[in-house]
Amino acid sequence: MQDELSLLGRIQAGDAGAFGQWASASERALRLTLRPFAALVDTEAVLQEALLRVWQVAPKFTHDGKPNALLRFSVVTARNCAVSELRRSRPSAAQLDALERELASQAEVAPITPDPLLRAAILECRARLPPQPRQALEQRLSSGGVDDDATLSSRVGMTLNTFLQNVTRARKLLRACLEKAGIALDGELT
Amino acid sequence: MTREEELLLEQVVSAHRERGVDGAIRSHPAWHDLSDDLRREAFDETLRSRQLEAAADPENQSGTVHAVLARLRR
Repeated sequence: MQDELSLLGRIQAGDAGAFGQWASASERALRLTLRPFAALVDTEAVLQEALLRVWQVAPKFTHDGKPNALLRFSVVTARNCAVSELRRSRPSAAQLDALERELASQAEVAPITPDPLLRAAILECRARLPPQPRQALEQRLSSGGVDDDATLSSRVGMTLNTFLQNVTRARKLLRACLEKAGIALDGELT
Repeated sequence: MTREEELLLEQVVSAHRERGVDGAIRSHPAWHDLSDDLRREAFDETLRSRQLEAAADPENQSGTVHAVLARLRR
């Protein structure tokens, strides 16, 4: 709790590094709460928008004394962003009812700590990738979402389609390598 | 999954998103071309992909976190 309050204090003082630290620990839990919206809105865009809004309002945020206060606030912010986006596509009453039921059944959220074993295994598996998939994946990783795929593909002298195929291949090979090492990456798991 | 669908899905899994004229982060254009099933598949694939990105990053930051930090530092 003390760590959380200390991190929140730094975020409220405008420390982007502290916000990055908090966002890294919170991202997966936050994304999972958006699963009910997966077929209804682009949850990646919603999540990025929600994180930016949290950063903007953080200086005025009041901690309620319970654990994971900023994360719980972020869940509400992300859902509000998703609902706003959804309303633009004029959803049916049935869609909204189903969504409400699913959201009501969601469990409490908590940050997720990094797994050092996974980190070590990924480094080893990345080193084993064939040159082209590795090159494409490295571009995605080093760009951090800042550049679009057309820019990234031109940097490595690939057509856009070849680049995308190589990224897909790299992720499949990585996943297979990790599974061989006994590590399952599963979107279904929290 | 057809090759075309696979390419669309791979674009949606990217953390790159543009801002709209209203300043808000826009949905990826390719996302609109996916069926409901493929949108759910894209969600799961993105979840796994961000886990990989974060684990491969020295500061444990995924593409999503990098993209957000780049925007708020501008």
